[in-house]
Amino acid sequence: MLSHLILGASSGLYLGDMLFIAISFIILMALIAVVAWNPITKMMGERADKIANDIDSAQKSRQEANDLADQRRDALSHSRTEASGIVADAKQSGEKQRATIVADAQNEATQYKQNARKDIEQERQDALKNVQSDVADISVEIASKIIKKQLDPEGQQALINSYIEGLGKHES
Amino acid sequence: MDEAVPTVHFLGLTFNIANDISILLTCLIVFLFVFLLSRHITLKPKGGQNVLEWLIEFTNGIVKGSIKGNDAGHFGLYAFTLFLFIFVANQLGLFLHVQVGQYTYVKSPTADPIVTLTLSFMTVAIAHAAGVQKKGMKGYLKEYTSPFLVFLPINIFEQFTDFLTLGLRLFGNIFAGEMLLSKVATLATGSGSWFSYVYSFPIEFLWQGFSVFIGSVQAFVFVTLTSVYISQKVSSEE
Repeated sequence: MLSHLILGASSGLYLGDMLFIAISFIILMALIAVVAWNPITKMMGERADKIANDIDSAQKSRQEANDLADQRRDALSHSRTEASGIVADAKQSGEKQRATIVADAQNEATQYKQNARKDIEQERQDALKNVQSDVADISVEIASKIIKKQLDPEGQQALINSYIEGLGKHES
Repeated sequence: MDEAVPTVHFLGLTFNIANDISILLTCLIVFLFVFLLSRHITLKPKGGQNVLEWLIEFTNGIVKGSIKGNDAGHFGLYAFTLFLFIFVANQLGLFLHVQVGQYTYVKSPTADPIVTLTLSFMTVAIAHAAGVQKKGMKGYLKEYTSPFLVFLPINIFEQFTDFLTLGLRLFGNIFAGEMLLSKVATLATGSGSWFSYVYSFPIEFLWQGFSVFIGSVQAFVFVTLTSVYISQKVSSEE
């Protein structure tokens, strides 16, 4: 059955087959290398790289996200203190403004009061002056009227006499 | 399985046509399998690419199991091709047996010791070449006297036993499988009675299934031993 394998039994060892197998195997290997092996192993390598990169970038972006969140938190607390500062400042300046306004108003009011007082005083003085002169006139008038009324005929006579006497004295 | 083999003499070499046709057919099947599955290679694998990648991972796993470090990458393609070739060659004779006249033209090429010994010779040649390339001629030759000079004849002898056992193991398994298949087939057709088909059919069926299993295991074993032999030559021993 396998007599053809016995050296020298038939036409020698089947060297042709050995060559044929070796060559066809090498050709097959080369074809597989070109058609499948090289592209697939390259793709597998690329995939491994991509996965590694993805993991790295995922880690990096997570880190970035964490950093951003921290920044946000910082900014938030910062802005909160800033806001409270602004509010406090506003309050303070409002307080100050209120105080100045009130002080101004008070000053103005006292100014007005003083002016008014001065005016009133002036007016009073003027009025007093007027009244004094009026009172003098009136009292003179009243006096003359009273004097005219109270003179009885004897008195008138006497008065006239006195006048005449006086006249005579004066004429003489 | 016939006594006679169809032979052709060409350029002073003797060709066994049956072997050559079977080998060509095996190569063709392997190539078409790989070619058709590798048409649309994308970063995100799907369909055929998954199958091929699984196979590549499988053979790479075998190689990396015994060859350590960077050297494993150089033998991945050889292991992959070897595995597919031996696997297909082992199964070929199980379902395809073309007999014209007295000659069998298509059978498992690995059922012929010439084929298996050539494959094992290729493995041994690659192992030795890799050893010389890795360690230089001096380091390569020094391995033969390790651990002591006394081991020199044993080490030299081992090279031949490695080569022979690797090839003959595959041949023996596949040859026995085919042999028994053809014997069962003769059992069915030989008696001339229809009844012989009835009881020989399950036997043939079972044996074919078992042969598929053996053929797969032998392909795995051959590739494993190939990487072991290469690693013996490549790895630096303490």
